[in-house]
Amino acid sequence: MVKYSYFPGCNLKTDARGFEKSAIAVSKRLESELVEIPNWNCCGTVHTMTTDNLMKRIAPVRVLARSRKHVGELNDANNQVVTLCSMCNSTLKIVEKEVREDEEKLKVINYQLEEDEEEYSNDMEVKHYLEILRDKIGFEKVASAVVKPLKGLKLSPYYGCMLLHPEEAKIDDEEMPSVLEDLIESLGAEVVFSPLFKYCCGSYHIVEEKDIVTHQVLKIVQAAIDRGANALVVACPLCAYNLDQQQKMYMETTGRKNILPIFYFSQLMAVAMGEPLEINHFEDHKIDPRRLLKELKLEG
Amino acid sequence: MSYEYIKYGQEEKDFIEKIEEISGQNIYSCYQCGKCSAGCAFSNKMDKTVNQLIHLIQMGQKEKVTSANTHWICASCLTCTIRCPREIDVAALMEAVREYILREEPERVKIADIPKDDLEKLPNIALVGNFRKMTG
Repeated sequence: MVKYSYFPGCNLKTDARGFEKSAIAVSKRLESELVEIPNWNCCGTVHTMTTDNLMKRIAPVRVLARSRKHVGELNDANNQVVTLCSMCNSTLKIVEKEVREDEEKLKVINYQLEEDEEEYSNDMEVKHYLEILRDKIGFEKVASAVVKPLKGLKLSPYYGCMLLHPEEAKIDDEEMPSVLEDLIESLGAEVVFSPLFKYCCGSYHIVEEKDIVTHQVLKIVQAAIDRGANALVVACPLCAYNLDQQQKMYMETTGRKNILPIFYFSQLMAVAMGEPLEINHFEDHKIDPRRLLKELKLEG
Repeated sequence: MSYEYIKYGQEEKDFIEKIEEISGQNIYSCYQCGKCSAGCAFSNKMDKTVNQLIHLIQMGQKEKVTSANTHWICASCLTCTIRCPREIDVAALMEAVREYILREEPERVKIADIPKDDLEKLPNIALVGNFRKMTG
Protein backbone atom coordinates (compact mmCIF):
# COMPACT_ATOMS: atom_id res chain seq x y z
CA MET A 1 0.00 0.00 0.00
CA VAL A 2 1.51 3.34 -1.10
CA LYS A 3 0.97 6.15 1.38
CA TYR A 4 0.53 9.84 0.67
CA SER A 5 0.97 12.74 3.04
CA TYR A 6 -2.46 14.34 2.85
CA PHE A 7 -3.34 17.96 3.62
CA PRO A 8 -7.10 18.31 4.31
CA GLY A 9 -7.58 22.07 4.71
CA CYS A 10 -10.28 23.60 6.87
CA ASN A 11 -13.44 22.78 4.94
CA LEU A 12 -12.90 19.06 4.68
CA LYS A 13 -13.35 18.84 8.43
CA THR A 14 -16.62 20.78 8.44
CA ASP A 15 -18.92 21.47 5.47
CA ALA A 16 -17.22 19.02 3.14
CA ARG A 17 -16.58 16.09 5.48
CA GLY A 18 -18.24 13.71 3.00
CA PHE A 19 -15.62 14.75 0.43
CA GLU A 20 -12.80 13.75 2.78
CA LYS A 21 -14.30 10.55 4.15
CA SER A 22 -15.26 9.22 0.73
CA ALA A 23 -11.82 10.07 -0.70
CA ILE A 24 -9.96 8.33 2.13
CA ALA A 25 -12.17 5.26 1.80
CA VAL A 26 -11.59 4.93 -1.96
CA SER A 27 -7.88 5.69 -1.58
CA LYS A 28 -7.56 2.57 0.61
CA ARG A 29 -9.42 0.52 -1.96
CA LEU A 30 -6.99 1.71 -4.63
CA GLU A 31 -4.00 0.84 -2.44
CA SER A 32 -2.78 4.41 -2.19
CA GLU A 33 -3.81 5.61 1.23
CA LEU A 34 -4.23 9.29 2.08
CA VAL A 35 -2.73 9.82 5.55
CA GLU A 36 -3.46 13.14 7.23
CA ILE A 37 -0.57 15.40 8.23
CA PRO A 38 -0.61 15.76 12.01
CA ASN A 39 -0.70 19.32 13.30
CA TRP A 40 -1.55 21.00 9.98
CA ASN A 41 -2.71 24.61 9.68
CA CYS A 42 -4.88 26.58 7.24
CA CYS A 43 -3.07 27.33 3.96
CA GLY A 44 -4.58 30.81 3.79
CA THR A 45 -7.30 29.87 1.26
CA VAL A 46 -6.72 32.45 -1.47
CA HIS A 47 -3.21 33.09 -2.69
CA THR A 48 -1.91 36.63 -2.42
CA MET A 49 -0.89 38.13 -5.75
CA THR A 50 1.11 40.94 -4.20
CA THR A 51 4.88 40.86 -4.57
CA ASP A 52 5.72 42.57 -1.31
CA ASN A 53 3.76 40.67 1.33
CA LEU A 54 5.54 37.61 2.71
CA MET A 55 3.26 37.34 5.74
CA LYS A 56 0.53 35.70 3.71
CA ARG A 57 2.99 33.12 2.41
CA ILE A 58 4.11 31.82 5.79
CA ALA A 59 1.09 29.54 6.34
CA PRO A 60 1.45 27.57 3.09
CA VAL A 61 5.21 27.17 3.54
CA ARG A 62 4.59 25.86 7.06
CA VAL A 63 2.22 23.30 5.56
CA LEU A 64 4.97 22.18 3.17
CA ALA A 65 7.50 21.93 6.03
CA ARG A 66 5.15 19.86 8.19
CA SER A 67 4.25 17.63 5.30
CA ARG A 68 7.96 17.03 4.63
CA LYS A 69 8.40 15.92 8.22
CA HIS A 70 5.31 13.72 7.91
CA VAL A 71 6.66 12.05 4.76
CA GLY A 72 9.77 11.07 6.76
CA GLU A 73 7.56 9.27 9.27
CA LEU A 74 5.55 7.34 6.67
CA ASN A 75 6.74 4.11 5.10
CA ASP A 76 6.55 3.87 1.37
CA ALA A 77 5.86 7.55 0.72
CA ASN A 78 7.47 10.03 -1.66
CA ASN A 79 7.97 13.77 -1.28
CA GLN A 80 4.48 14.71 -2.29
CA VAL A 81 1.72 16.45 -0.40
CA VAL A 82 -1.73 15.59 -1.70
CA THR A 83 -4.77 17.85 -1.46
CA LEU A 84 -8.45 17.31 -2.20
CA CYS A 85 -9.58 20.93 -2.07
CA SER A 86 -8.77 22.72 -5.31
CA MET A 87 -8.23 26.04 -3.53
CA CYS A 88 -5.58 24.52 -1.20
CA ASN A 89 -4.01 22.83 -4.21
CA SER A 90 -3.67 26.11 -6.03
CA THR A 91 -2.35 28.11 -3.06
CA LEU A 92 0.22 25.48 -2.08
CA LYS A 93 1.42 24.94 -5.64
CA ILE A 94 1.91 28.65 -6.31
CA VAL A 95 3.83 29.24 -3.10
CA GLU A 96 5.92 26.09 -3.59
CA LYS A 97 7.02 27.45 -6.96
CA GLU A 98 7.62 30.96 -5.63
CA VAL A 99 9.97 29.88 -2.86
CA ARG A 100 11.72 27.41 -5.15
CA GLU A 101 12.56 30.24 -7.52
CA ASP A 102 13.37 32.87 -4.91
CA GLU A 103 15.81 31.77 -2.21
CA GLU A 104 15.67 35.14 -0.51
CA LYS A 105 11.92 34.80 0.04
CA LEU A 106 12.33 31.32 1.50
CA LYS A 107 15.08 32.50 3.82
CA VAL A 108 12.87 35.21 5.32
CA ILE A 109 9.93 32.81 5.68
CA ASN A 110 12.13 30.12 7.25
CA TYR A 111 13.25 32.71 9.77
CA GLN A 112 9.59 32.90 10.87
CA LEU A 113 9.31 29.11 11.09
CA GLU A 114 12.42 28.87 13.26
CA GLU A 115 10.37 29.69 16.33
CA ASP A 116 8.66 26.29 16.04
CA GLU A 117 11.93 24.61 15.08
CA GLU A 118 10.65 24.05 11.59
CA GLU A 119 12.32 24.61 8.27
CA TYR A 120 11.41 24.12 4.64
CA SER A 121 14.08 23.25 2.11
CA ASN A 122 12.36 23.17 -1.28
CA ASP A 123 11.90 19.44 -1.41
CA MET A 124 8.18 18.88 -1.69
CA GLU A 125 5.83 18.56 -4.62
CA VAL A 126 2.14 19.46 -4.39
CA LYS A 127 -0.38 17.18 -6.07
CA HIS A 128 -4.13 17.22 -6.32
CA TYR A 129 -5.71 13.81 -5.71
CA LEU A 130 -7.10 13.90 -9.26
CA GLU A 131 -3.52 14.01 -10.53
CA ILE A 132 -2.65 10.97 -8.41
CA LEU A 133 -5.69 9.15 -9.80
CA ARG A 134 -4.73 9.98 -13.38
CA ASP A 135 -0.93 9.68 -13.27
CA LYS A 136 -0.16 7.17 -10.52
CA ILE A 137 -3.19 4.94 -10.08
CA GLY A 138 -4.67 5.19 -13.58
CA PHE A 139 -8.33 5.21 -14.57
CA GLU A 140 -8.16 1.57 -15.65
CA LYS A 141 -7.50 0.57 -12.08
CA VAL A 142 -10.29 2.86 -10.94
CA ALA A 143 -12.65 1.20 -13.44
CA SER A 144 -11.66 -2.26 -12.24
CA ALA A 145 -12.60 -1.34 -8.66
CA VAL A 146 -16.12 -0.34 -9.69
CA VAL A 147 -18.77 -2.78 -8.44
CA LYS A 148 -21.80 -0.65 -9.24
CA PRO A 149 -21.47 1.30 -12.51
CA LEU A 150 -23.21 4.66 -12.23
CA LYS A 151 -25.69 3.95 -15.00
CA GLY A 152 -28.21 6.69 -15.56
CA LEU A 153 -26.14 9.49 -14.04
CA LYS A 154 -25.57 12.25 -16.57
CA LEU A 155 -22.77 14.22 -15.02
CA SER A 156 -21.52 17.61 -16.03
CA PRO A 157 -18.00 18.28 -14.70
CA TYR A 158 -17.64 21.73 -13.16
CA TYR A 159 -13.95 22.45 -12.72
CA GLY A 160 -14.25 25.92 -11.27
CA CYS A 161 -11.25 28.22 -11.48
CA MET A 162 -8.61 26.90 -9.16
CA LEU A 163 -8.03 23.47 -10.70
CA LEU A 164 -7.06 25.11 -13.99
CA HIS A 165 -5.69 28.56 -13.06
CA PRO A 166 -3.07 29.92 -12.93
CA GLU A 167 -0.35 28.32 -15.06
CA GLU A 168 1.67 27.27 -11.96
CA ALA A 169 -1.21 25.41 -10.37
CA LYS A 170 -3.18 23.85 -13.21
CA ILE A 171 -3.69 20.09 -13.12
CA ASP A 172 -4.82 19.81 -16.74
CA ASP A 173 -5.18 21.83 -19.95
CA GLU A 174 -6.65 25.17 -18.88
CA GLU A 175 -9.07 25.54 -21.79
CA MET A 176 -9.93 21.91 -22.57
CA PRO A 177 -9.41 19.69 -19.51
CA SER A 178 -10.34 16.01 -19.47
CA VAL A 179 -9.41 14.55 -16.09
CA LEU A 180 -12.92 14.71 -14.58
CA GLU A 181 -14.43 13.44 -17.83
CA ASP A 182 -12.10 10.42 -17.82
CA LEU A 183 -12.88 9.71 -14.19
CA ILE A 184 -16.64 9.93 -14.77
CA GLU A 185 -16.41 7.53 -17.69
CA SER A 186 -14.35 5.06 -15.69
CA LEU A 187 -17.18 4.99 -13.14
CA GLY A 188 -19.71 4.05 -15.80
CA ALA A 189 -21.61 7.35 -15.86
CA GLU A 190 -22.33 9.57 -18.85
CA VAL A 191 -20.36 12.81 -19.34
CA VAL A 192 -22.33 15.91 -20.29
CA PHE A 193 -20.16 18.75 -21.58
CA SER A 194 -21.12 22.25 -20.51
CA PRO A 195 -19.32 25.29 -21.93
CA LEU A 196 -19.49 26.92 -18.50
CA PHE A 197 -17.26 24.22 -16.95
CA LYS A 198 -14.93 26.83 -15.47
CA TYR A 199 -17.17 29.91 -15.38
CA CYS A 200 -16.42 31.40 -11.95
CA CYS A 201 -19.15 30.75 -9.35
CA GLY A 202 -18.48 34.05 -7.57
CA SER A 203 -16.25 32.47 -4.94
CA TYR A 204 -15.87 34.45 -1.70
CA HIS A 205 -18.46 37.05 -2.77
CA ILE A 206 -20.97 34.75 -1.06
CA VAL A 207 -20.07 36.66 2.12
CA GLU A 208 -20.90 40.22 1.02
CA GLU A 209 -22.38 40.16 -2.50
CA LYS A 210 -24.68 37.14 -2.59
CA ASP A 211 -26.52 38.35 -5.72
CA ILE A 212 -23.35 38.03 -7.77
CA VAL A 213 -23.01 34.40 -6.74
CA THR A 214 -26.70 33.65 -7.40
CA HIS A 215 -26.43 35.09 -10.89
CA GLN A 216 -23.34 32.99 -11.70
CA VAL A 217 -24.78 29.82 -10.19
CA LEU A 218 -28.05 30.04 -12.14
CA LYS A 219 -26.13 30.42 -15.40
CA ILE A 220 -23.82 27.48 -14.63
CA VAL A 221 -26.70 25.21 -13.61
CA GLN A 222 -28.94 26.19 -16.54
CA ALA A 223 -26.14 25.53 -19.06
CA ALA A 224 -25.73 22.01 -17.69
CA ILE A 225 -29.50 21.34 -17.57
CA ASP A 226 -29.93 22.54 -21.16
CA ARG A 227 -27.44 19.89 -22.28
CA GLY A 228 -29.19 17.11 -20.38
CA ALA A 229 -27.19 16.80 -17.15
CA ASN A 230 -28.85 15.48 -13.99
CA ALA A 231 -26.01 16.41 -11.60
CA LEU A 232 -22.82 18.45 -11.35
CA VAL A 233 -19.40 17.14 -10.30
CA VAL A 234 -17.00 19.39 -8.38
CA ALA A 235 -13.63 19.31 -6.58
CA CYS A 236 -13.88 22.57 -4.64
CA PRO A 237 -15.77 22.95 -1.34
CA LEU A 238 -16.50 26.62 -2.08
CA CYS A 239 -17.92 25.90 -5.55
CA ALA A 240 -19.96 23.12 -3.96
CA TYR A 241 -21.34 25.37 -1.24
CA ASN A 242 -22.19 28.21 -3.63
CA LEU A 243 -23.86 25.97 -6.21
CA ASP A 244 -25.79 24.04 -3.58
CA GLN A 245 -26.83 26.86 -1.27
CA GLN A 246 -27.76 29.45 -3.90
CA GLN A 247 -29.81 26.95 -5.89
CA LYS A 248 -31.72 26.05 -2.75
CA MET A 249 -32.23 29.69 -1.84
CA TYR A 250 -33.50 30.47 -5.34
CA MET A 251 -35.77 27.42 -5.31
CA GLU A 252 -37.31 28.49 -2.01
CA THR A 253 -37.84 32.12 -3.00
CA THR A 254 -39.07 31.64 -6.59
CA GLY A 255 -40.39 28.08 -6.70
CA ARG A 256 -37.93 27.15 -9.42
CA LYS A 257 -37.92 23.41 -10.07
CA ASN A 258 -34.91 23.06 -12.35
CA ILE A 259 -32.17 22.18 -9.92
CA LEU A 260 -29.14 19.92 -9.96
CA PRO A 261 -27.61 18.06 -7.01
CA ILE A 262 -23.86 18.50 -6.48
CA PHE A 263 -21.43 15.60 -6.06
CA TYR A 264 -17.77 15.67 -5.09
CA PHE A 265 -15.89 13.41 -7.47
CA SER A 266 -14.83 11.17 -4.59
CA GLN A 267 -18.43 10.64 -3.48
CA LEU A 268 -19.24 9.24 -6.91
CA MET A 269 -16.23 6.93 -6.64
CA ALA A 270 -17.39 5.74 -3.22
CA VAL A 271 -20.90 5.02 -4.53
CA ALA A 272 -19.54 3.16 -7.57
CA MET A 273 -17.11 1.15 -5.44
CA GLY A 274 -19.85 0.04 -3.07
CA GLU A 275 -18.75 1.92 0.05
CA PRO A 276 -21.51 2.47 2.64
CA LEU A 277 -23.60 5.47 1.64
CA GLU A 278 -23.22 7.14 5.07
CA ILE A 279 -19.55 8.03 4.52
CA ASN A 280 -20.60 10.53 1.85
CA HIS A 281 -22.59 12.61 4.37
CA PHE A 282 -25.18 13.47 1.76
CA GLU A 283 -27.30 14.86 4.59
CA ASP A 284 -24.96 17.89 4.64
CA HIS A 285 -25.95 18.84 1.09
CA LYS A 286 -28.64 21.46 0.64
CA ILE A 287 -30.07 19.62 -2.37
CA ASP A 288 -30.10 15.97 -1.36
CA PRO A 289 -28.39 13.83 -4.03
CA ARG A 290 -29.89 10.67 -2.51
CA ARG A 291 -33.17 11.35 -4.29
CA LEU A 292 -31.49 11.04 -7.65
CA LEU A 293 -29.48 7.98 -6.55
CA LYS A 294 -32.70 6.33 -5.36
CA GLU A 295 -34.45 7.10 -8.63
CA LEU A 296 -31.61 5.44 -10.52
CA LYS A 297 -31.44 2.51 -8.04
CA LEU A 298 -27.87 3.34 -7.10
CA GLU A 299 -28.58 3.90 -3.44
CA GLY A 300 -28.21 0.49 -1.85
CA MET B 1 -16.80 63.75 -29.79
CA SER B 2 -15.73 65.34 -26.58
CA TYR B 3 -12.28 65.41 -25.04
CA GLU B 4 -11.31 65.35 -21.41
CA TYR B 5 -8.11 66.98 -20.27
CA ILE B 6 -6.29 64.99 -17.60
CA LYS B 7 -3.56 65.95 -15.20
CA TYR B 8 -0.32 63.98 -15.51
CA GLY B 9 2.21 65.03 -12.90
CA GLN B 10 4.28 63.54 -10.09
CA GLU B 11 1.23 62.33 -8.16
CA GLU B 12 0.05 60.35 -11.18
CA LYS B 13 3.49 58.90 -11.77
CA ASP B 14 3.75 57.85 -8.11
CA PHE B 15 0.41 56.06 -8.33
CA ILE B 16 1.50 54.09 -11.40
CA GLU B 17 4.78 53.18 -9.74
CA LYS B 18 3.04 51.94 -6.60
CA ILE B 19 0.61 49.74 -8.55
CA GLU B 20 3.53 48.32 -10.53
CA GLU B 21 5.47 47.68 -7.35
CA ILE B 22 2.65 45.85 -5.56
CA SER B 23 1.67 43.78 -8.60
CA GLY B 24 5.12 43.23 -10.08
CA GLN B 25 3.67 43.97 -13.52
CA ASN B 26 4.63 46.46 -16.22
CA ILE B 27 1.43 48.42 -16.78
CA TYR B 28 2.58 49.62 -20.21
CA SER B 29 2.73 46.05 -21.51
CA CYS B 30 -1.03 46.33 -22.02
CA TYR B 31 -1.99 47.33 -25.57
CA GLN B 32 -5.73 47.45 -24.85
CA CYS B 33 -6.90 44.45 -26.87
CA GLY B 34 -9.75 43.90 -24.40
CA LYS B 35 -9.43 40.12 -24.15
CA CYS B 36 -9.47 40.30 -20.33
CA SER B 37 -12.82 42.08 -20.33
CA ALA B 38 -14.26 39.87 -23.08
CA GLY B 39 -13.59 36.71 -21.09
CA CYS B 40 -14.38 38.10 -17.65
CA ALA B 41 -17.35 36.38 -15.99
CA PHE B 42 -18.23 39.59 -14.16
CA SER B 43 -17.82 42.31 -16.83
CA ASN B 44 -21.55 43.05 -16.79
CA LYS B 45 -21.37 44.01 -13.11
CA MET B 46 -18.36 46.30 -13.39
CA ASP B 47 -18.80 50.06 -13.86
CA LYS B 48 -15.49 50.07 -15.75
CA THR B 49 -14.36 47.00 -17.60
CA VAL B 50 -10.98 45.48 -16.73
CA ASN B 51 -9.16 46.97 -19.74
CA GLN B 52 -10.72 50.38 -19.05
CA LEU B 53 -9.39 50.24 -15.50
CA ILE B 54 -5.94 49.28 -16.79
CA HIS B 55 -6.07 52.24 -19.19
CA LEU B 56 -6.85 54.56 -16.28
CA ILE B 57 -3.92 53.09 -14.32
CA GLN B 58 -1.66 53.70 -17.33
CA MET B 59 -2.66 57.35 -17.15
CA GLY B 60 -2.21 57.48 -13.37
CA GLN B 61 -5.82 58.52 -12.75
CA LYS B 62 -5.89 57.47 -9.11
CA GLU B 63 -9.32 58.90 -8.20
CA LYS B 64 -11.06 57.26 -11.15
CA VAL B 65 -9.32 53.95 -10.52
CA THR B 66 -10.00 53.75 -6.80
CA SER B 67 -13.63 54.87 -7.12
CA ALA B 68 -14.45 52.15 -9.68
CA ASN B 69 -16.02 48.89 -8.49
CA THR B 70 -14.04 46.73 -10.95
CA HIS B 71 -11.38 45.49 -8.55
CA TRP B 72 -13.94 44.75 -5.84
CA ILE B 73 -16.15 42.74 -8.22
CA CYS B 74 -13.14 40.74 -9.47
CA ALA B 75 -13.21 37.34 -7.71
CA SER B 76 -9.64 36.39 -8.66
CA CYS B 77 -10.66 33.52 -10.94
CA LEU B 78 -7.54 34.36 -13.04
CA THR B 79 -9.19 33.72 -16.43
CA CYS B 80 -7.79 37.08 -17.64
CA THR B 81 -4.32 36.21 -16.39
CA ILE B 82 -4.05 32.94 -18.30
CA ARG B 83 -5.44 34.48 -21.50
CA CYS B 84 -3.57 37.80 -21.72
CA PRO B 85 -1.59 37.81 -24.98
CA ARG B 86 0.96 40.16 -23.37
CA GLU B 87 1.36 37.76 -20.43
CA ILE B 88 0.34 40.36 -17.89
CA ASP B 89 -0.93 38.98 -14.60
CA VAL B 90 -4.13 41.02 -14.93
CA ALA B 91 -5.65 39.63 -11.73
CA ALA B 92 -2.53 40.78 -9.87
CA LEU B 93 -3.23 44.32 -11.09
CA MET B 94 -6.76 44.07 -9.64
CA GLU B 95 -5.23 42.80 -6.40
CA ALA B 96 -2.76 45.68 -6.42
CA VAL B 97 -5.58 48.23 -6.64
CA ARG B 98 -7.42 46.48 -3.79
CA GLU B 99 -4.24 46.41 -1.70
CA TYR B 100 -3.48 50.06 -2.50
CA ILE B 101 -6.86 51.01 -1.03
CA LEU B 102 -6.82 48.51 1.85
CA ARG B 103 -3.44 49.71 3.08
CA GLU B 104 -5.10 53.08 3.79
CA GLU B 105 -8.63 51.92 4.60
CA PRO B 106 -8.37 48.33 5.77
CA GLU B 107 -12.07 47.50 6.13
CA ARG B 108 -13.89 47.13 2.84
CA VAL B 109 -15.88 44.42 4.61
CA LYS B 110 -16.62 45.07 8.26
CA ILE B 111 -16.63 41.74 10.02
CA ALA B 112 -18.79 43.11 12.84
CA ASP B 113 -21.51 44.01 10.30
CA ILE B 114 -21.88 40.49 8.91
CA PRO B 115 -25.08 38.91 10.27
CA LYS B 116 -24.36 36.33 12.97
CA ASP B 117 -26.43 33.79 11.11
CA ASP B 118 -24.17 34.17 8.06
CA LEU B 119 -21.03 33.79 10.15
CA GLU B 120 -22.35 30.52 11.52
CA LYS B 121 -23.60 29.12 8.22
CA LEU B 122 -20.89 30.17 5.78
CA PRO B 123 -18.01 27.77 5.24
CA ASN B 124 -14.55 28.75 6.52
CA ILE B 125 -13.18 28.79 3.01
CA ALA B 126 -15.60 31.62 2.06
CA LEU B 127 -14.98 33.67 5.19
CA VAL B 128 -11.20 33.37 5.21
CA GLY B 129 -11.04 33.98 1.45
CA ASN B 130 -13.23 37.05 1.70
CA PHE B 131 -11.36 38.58 4.63
CA ARG B 132 -8.02 38.02 2.89
CA LYS B 133 -9.29 39.98 -0.11
CA MET B 134 -11.51 42.57 1.53
CA THR B 135 -9.59 43.59 4.65
CA GLY B 136 -6.09 44.95 5.09
